[in-house]
Amino acid sequence: MKAWSVTSLEELDRIPVAEGLEWRPIRRRFGIRSFGINAYTSSHVGGWVVEEHDEAGGHEEIYLVVSGRATFTLDGEEVDAPAGTAVFLPEGSVKRKAIAEEEGTTVLAIGAWPDKAFVPSAWEWVFEAYAATPEQGIAILGEGRDELGDEPAFDYHLACLEAKLGRLDEGRAHLARAIEARPKWQARADADADLAPLR
Amino acid sequence: MTHRIANLAELRNPEGWAAVRRELGVSAFGINTWTAAEDGAAIIAEHAETQSGQEELYLVLEGHATFTVDGEEVDAPLGTLLHVADPALRRGAIGTAGTTILVVGGKPGEPYEITGWEANADVFPLFKRGEFSQAKELLEAALAQYPGQAGVLYNLACAEARLDEPAAALAHLSQAVELSPPFAGYAQGDEDLASIRDDPGFPAAPEGING
Repeated sequence: MKAWSVTSLEELDRIPVAEGLEWRPIRRRFGIRSFGINAYTSSHVGGWVVEEHDEAGGHEEIYLVVSGRATFTLDGEEVDAPAGTAVFLPEGSVKRKAIAEEEGTTVLAIGAWPDKAFVPSAWEWVFEAYAATPEQGIAILGEGRDELGDEPAFDYHLACLEAKLGRLDEGRAHLARAIEARPKWQARADADADLAPLR
Repeated sequence: MTHRIANLAELRNPEGWAAVRRELGVSAFGINTWTAAEDGAAIIAEHAETQSGQEELYLVLEGHATFTVDGEEVDAPLGTLLHVADPALRRGAIGTAGTTILVVGGKPGEPYEITGWEANADVFPLFKRGEFSQAKELLEAALAQYPGQAGVLYNLACAEARLDEPAAALAHLSQAVELSPPFAGYAQGDEDLASIRDDPGFPAAPEGING
């Protein structure tokens, strides 16, 4: 890692995720190791700038509207958030999402645990894997495993990508490992169209 | 409370500091914004993060800044992101009037620790206005909550020196220097410490620094 380095929001990668959401990786770009930080833009007005999710893992998160205007939905409550708005969610259980209300809306998301050291999350590799071809995605998930070690999320998403490629035995093995580690993912797997070839 | 919402401009104090972490109660990382009052004003005072061991990320949210990192100038228009991984590097920024910089910090491998440095930012305007008793009171409270903070001890020494309390000032200055030797260098030219500089107990300049 460099002692210091510089870039700009404009120059960040733009990785499409879902519902218009574009992930603009900052943490990974710099190799930041003490908090998660990323920017999000949307391909269109009305698209996501924060994907619908919770932080059941316990991250505190702050969302900062850097430009444009967003509408957040926090446990069903809508919040108008023009540029300069900071939305702090100390409780991971809150279901949150945000949509872009204007062209050029950018939201910065920063997160970490309040009581333990930060480590990067598997989703960074998962997002990137789905933006690539299935073959490339499998390689990207492998890189994530090299960095973070065995994470059930890697097994689950390897199963999805292997299923797409017809690599059914490998897919079943990865899915079995994922479900063994996270039994509650069974219901999600049962409903996941990507995994249909494995059933 | 499940969420707290604020507008950065509303959090900003007259010194241009929006104490985002403190005002919103963030405890997992440091986060603040700083705004230049006028063209060419310092936005990020030149400093290192040696004592905290933190890496820092800066984002130019408004205006146009110029960073200096390890002696190198970096032009930083709106949207510039600067990451300083090495805590020992000195860094600072100036900018045009209204330029606002977001700063996020944390220490790799450890949970974030809230320290007393925010009290230092609180007392600068008090020093400017000559309100040294109020500054001392605030710094003592910060020290009680977060003991062993070199910056707080140093500023407390400055307030005490201004209040003509030489024994307390020298004791706190000595503690600050013990915790963070570079403070011996800063002390040599600091006007706030003029009243105690001739005392035999005043810390000597580190090698290579002439008072």
